[in-house]
Amino acid sequence: MDNQDKVQKFDVMVIGGGIAGEEAALNLAKMGFKIILVEKDYSIGGKMVHLSKVFPTLDCSACITTPKMSETTREPNITIKTYSEIKEIEKSGNHFIGKIIKKPRFVDEDTCTGCQLCEDVCPVSVDDQYQYDLVGRKAIYIPFAIALPKVAAIDLDNCILCGACEKVCPANSIDFTEKPEEILFEVTSVLIATGFNLFDAGKKVEYGYGRYKNVIHAMQMERQLVPTRPFNTVLRPKDGKSPDNIAYVLCTGSRDKSVGNPICSQICCMYSIKQAQLLMGALPMADVTIYYIDIRAYGKGFQEFYQQTKDMDVEFVKGKIAKIEEKEDGNLELFYEDIENGGKVKTAEHDMVVLAVGLLPNNEIASVFKDEELELDPFNYIKQKDKLINPALTSIDGVFVAGTAASPMDIPDTILSAGAASAEVAGYIRSLK
Amino acid sequence: MKEKIGVYICHCGSNISDYVDVDKVRDEIEKINGVVLSKTTMFACADSTQREIKEDIEKNKLDGLVVASCSPTLHLPTFRNVALRAGLNPYNYIQVNIREQGSWAHSDDKVGATDKAIQMIKAGITKTFHSKALEPIKISALNSVAIIGAGIAGLRAARELAEVGTKVYLIEKDSFVGGRVSQWGKMCSERRAGESLIRRLYKKVEEEDNIDLFLNTEIKKISGNVGNFILEVDVHPRYIKDNAKKERLDKLIEELDPVVNDEYNFNIVKRKAIYKNYEVAIPDIPVIDLGAFDQKSVLVEKYKDCIDLNQKTEKKELNIGAVIVSTGFDPYEPEKGEYSYKENESIVTFQEFERIIELNHDKEFIYKGKNIKNIAYIYCVGSCAESGENQYCSRICCTRTIAVSTHLKEDNPEIQNYHLYRQIRTYGKQEIMFDDALKGGDIFMKFDDDDPPIVKVDNGKTIVTINDLLTDKETIELEPDLTVLVTGMKSRKDSKDISKILKIPVGRDKFFNEAHPKLRPVETVIDGVFIAGACQGPKSISESIKSALSAASKAYSLINKGEIELEPTLAKIDSKVCDGCGECFDVCPFNAIIKVENQDKIIAEINESSCKGCGICTPVCAVDAIDIIGYTNNEIKGMIDSLLDVE
Amino acid sequence: MSNKELKAKPKILVFSTEKISDLAIDMAGLLKMYYPATAYTIVLPCSSGVKPQWILHALKKGFDGVFIAADGTDCPYSEKCTKWTGDIVSKTHLMMKEEKILPSRLKMAAICSVCSEAFVKHIKTFYSELSKLKEEGSNNG
Ligand SMILES: Cc1cc2nc3c(=O)[nH]c(=O)nc-3n(C[C@H](O)[C@H](O)[C@H](O)COP(=O)(O)OP(=O)(O)OC[C@H]3O[C@@H](n4cnc5c(N)ncnc54)[C@H](O)[C@@H]3O)c2cc1C
Ligand code: SF4
Ligand code: SF4
Repeated sequence: MDNQDKVQKFDVMVIGGGIAGEEAALNLAKMGFKIILVEKDYSIGGKMVHLSKVFPTLDCSACITTPKMSETTREPNITIKTYSEIKEIEKSGNHFIGKIIKKPRFVDEDTCTGCQLCEDVCPVSVDDQYQYDLVGRKAIYIPFAIALPKVAAIDLDNCILCGACEKVCPANSIDFTEKPEEILFEVTSVLIATGFNLFDAGKKVEYGYGRYKNVIHAMQMERQLVPTRPFNTVLRPKDGKSPDNIAYVLCTGSRDKSVGNPICSQICCMYSIKQAQLLMGALPMADVTIYYIDIRAYGKGFQEFYQQTKDMDVEFVKGKIAKIEEKEDGNLELFYEDIENGGKVKTAEHDMVVLAVGLLPNNEIASVFKDEELELDPFNYIKQKDKLINPALTSIDGVFVAGTAASPMDIPDTILSAGAASAEVAGYIRSLK
Repeated sequence: MKEKIGVYICHCGSNISDYVDVDKVRDEIEKINGVVLSKTTMFACADSTQREIKEDIEKNKLDGLVVASCSPTLHLPTFRNVALRAGLNPYNYIQVNIREQGSWAHSDDKVGATDKAIQMIKAGITKTFHSKALEPIKISALNSVAIIGAGIAGLRAARELAEVGTKVYLIEKDSFVGGRVSQWGKMCSERRAGESLIRRLYKKVEEEDNIDLFLNTEIKKISGNVGNFILEVDVHPRYIKDNAKKERLDKLIEELDPVVNDEYNFNIVKRKAIYKNYEVAIPDIPVIDLGAFDQKSVLVEKYKDCIDLNQKTEKKELNIGAVIVSTGFDPYEPEKGEYSYKENESIVTFQEFERIIELNHDKEFIYKGKNIKNIAYIYCVGSCAESGENQYCSRICCTRTIAVSTHLKEDNPEIQNYHLYRQIRTYGKQEIMFDDALKGGDIFMKFDDDDPPIVKVDNGKTIVTINDLLTDKETIELEPDLTVLVTGMKSRKDSKDISKILKIPVGRDKFFNEAHPKLRPVETVIDGVFIAGACQGPKSISESIKSALSAASKAYSLINKGEIELEPTLAKIDSKVCDGCGECFDVCPFNAIIKVENQDKIIAEINESSCKGCGICTPVCAVDAIDIIGYTNNEIKGMIDSLLDVE
Repeated sequence: MSNKELKAKPKILVFSTEKISDLAIDMAGLLKMYYPATAYTIVLPCSSGVKPQWILHALKKGFDGVFIAADGTDCPYSEKCTKWTGDIVSKTHLMMKEEKILPSRLKMAAICSVCSEAFVKHIKTFYSELSKLKEEGSNNG
């Protein structure tokens, strides 16, 4: 290859900069390995950085992720590529070679100071995907307050090329001509930490998400409860009133063959219970009812947390929601099978409904492996070939998996899984020497 | 004394600013002499703020830094690093906790919370005034780890560490390796026998020169510091000669009768006084239970080529850089009478049930001469209690019960399973097993937390009554052949000894406590001491393995550089004041105070590499010659004055 | 709050410990178990390192009470921690007697790393006792 000298060499490529990727990259860097961390989004941090507080300790999520994020960026053994996509990975002897495309953000990462002057002048306003469409953002924008790198980016699909930002930028960072950059790499091992996808609440048509304004999904509630919350309180989307009778519908898109996802998502019971507790704090007068099939409070301190929530007068109803109907005033009528009372169908009225959406596998990375197949398990998660003894091992020798890319799990389990993966990667690399 | 202090007051999103009037705080703090800069910030820990702080330090040549935000347990290292990067000594940085001990603790009293924040920051500033630039103490670290407990977690961690070149001392209290997993027989996870998993791991352990296995070994004491611990252990004898021949040993065992309760099989059978836990136990060498063995027996003479009753307990000292504790759990043992346990032999715990299956070699499922057809499982026995120690969920029992019962039914199609549960917790992919059990015709009945089933023994028969919530609280009576109490996990009976020796804190549930449940799940508050597996809380096999591997990678990252930095906040003795009375020598738990000659008089001096900076010696000194750096009289009294300083 | 009001409230100085009791005090905040905002902590490595002169200084300078949140049996440094901290309290009590300060103004209790509830209870009780003393104007014995 004539590009030989342009190939960047590392010991490990970590794909995905969520909590799993960060933890694993840091562990490996501290053992002395050189890491390239590839993140497809503008910022590292994954889903965790967008959460409010975390169960069962109610630590503020941003507060415990940001130190990990800064540590990752500052670690000399870690090179981070954000807003980058892996095009292909191929085995070559004991190594993997391949190509990354670093996509243009049209703002120079090195000089932008994150002052946000550009946001003020940009005339375009669209839904903010980082706030799960609860509020708007501009066409040039800093992804979110604690993004890392905290650098603006232009969303060219919505940009009208008026050039207002270019004029106002004090650092001259805006560059509409930026081109995608191609990076060739060679690494000894690959660690997949690409996380999960959220179940698309609209797929459960009978719950009316997308049609009924006061039906929202849990990530949207999560955003209304974060310390930097957009409204500074919790509001009904329809009329901006503060709700006083909120329902949670658990297992939305999980344990449900009708949507093709028969397994349990493992975290939605607990995050709903957590949100219920936070709501009791934010709206002391509100009633919260949780409709569930089983409450899966299995982890350390979870059952106690669940018990505590019951004692706070959050109502728990064992019931499967058949459908939801909207009333004229925007309130919602829930039809449910009251399982603990003989399975009769009952109705209940609430003024806001939160769908506790489950986790779905994010396996798109499997397609970049060119010569060998990266196998998936029956539920389309990345297959753990020897789950009991070598939990990070995949079907390709030298490729490992950590975090929710392999299975639904909460943050503590993700950290353990990342720790395990780093040990296995280290062992693998030594075994080659 | 510092002249240019910078103070940052964090909103923490709204975590602080909702209850503490941060602007008012800033205005008050600004007035203090020596404070040249005082700012509020949305997230002090955010990368952009860190950069800003660094620039402020450089630009204003700050000689002291205070951040008033969350608990120092979270961000002390973050801001010390900011200081370091800006060229300010990290020990000139002081963190003031106005969140956990401010806004959150007093969100019922905003005015009070604001006042408290002001006073606490004033005290922090005073501490900064007195702070000294310090350099961390560097000590060498041994590349060796002691792993306590050779269950599945311990074995896995040992193998991993050995592979990356760390010396491992694997310490097991029992005479055989494998811990609990070896007890779970053929019905273990994914229908793989627990014992074969252990065998597979052990093979790797055996191949590694880097692993020294100590069986029958108890830990006694630990001294020293992270990087250089000395672990004292007692290695108890097996009373079997090293060169004993297997055939001769087998013969010897044949001559004995089973007389002792077999704990390994939860006492459902008896074992001999010379025994192995199970036929193919590892290692394949029996052990003599000296309490049960008749030492005057003719066998002693007859088999003197095999046994040696004079073997003695050996004391050993291991030099190690870190410790991983993987001592596992105990299964819950019901109280006598709890669900009529022990009142009828057909009422058994889950652990007994597993051994019954394992020891059943008939084609059909026979127990105590009876062909078992109907089995009732009562869930959450000893877990999820309303009060007391066992309020936690044992995490794995739902899945295990469903797995074992469906496997048993696959092998014996005539069996009918009745599951009496509170909530089925087959989380994640395990949900499929629950689904399969339902499809296979298992019957599930749900009871209310306050209305558990009643188990009665009547004329040798067991009657189980439940008010089933799934059928409108209909009262249902069962007469199962076997009633299985689905017992959960408890912290080990002897875990108190371990936590006492190693100083690991335990939680309300009596399991060992991690340093941070989210971010540091395998670390403890004791530097260099890690926890793995179910000694930290209920875990499945794969979850234990993950935590074992995590602990291995954390331990390795800690010691692999051969050097560790320690906090320099140690004791200091003022040689001019010390009169050599010697009071302090005896109180130091680490023997860090030594006698030295100084201008013709004997005085005390601190040995820096053993001192841990606890300060126990400081109040003892009659002439007040000892101080802990960072906690001197000036600092503490100054802080007290500042806390009281209200105009 | 006016300064006068603030001065009317009993002030408590808490000596907590870095690895054990301060964690419980943090958790009390996390769990929103409220306690009086005029309780302030100074964190030390270990409760056996509190010098009697500090306690005396605090009481003489204006604190109404001092509470030692001791490591107790959880102490990561010494098994005898309870005894050592107890010795400090007895020694200080003697010194307080000489200075005619009521012994009830110094309290100690072992607070383990998860004993948030116990901590809050102690502080609330101590606070109301000190309030009574303050009303009676009998801070000194
Ligand atoms: C509403 C909600 C509330 C929750 N609350 C809690 C809670 O309170 N406590 C708790 O413990 N857990 C909670 N969780 C679970 C928690 O979010 C997950 O456990 C955690 O985020 C998993 O981390 P991860 O790194 O595996 O995945 P992610 O957070 O999904 O991170 C994956 C990263 O990989 C990147 N990526 C994906 N594909 C690629 C690719 N092809 N190339 C490069 N990069 C890629 C993504 O952009 C992302 O940055 C909650 C989840 C939800 C949905
Ligand atoms: S692009 Fe320019 S104006 Fe926009 S945030 Fe960056 S520095 Fe500021
Ligand atoms: S965790 Fe709870 S809500 Fe989520 S899928 Fe499982 S049972 Fe349903």
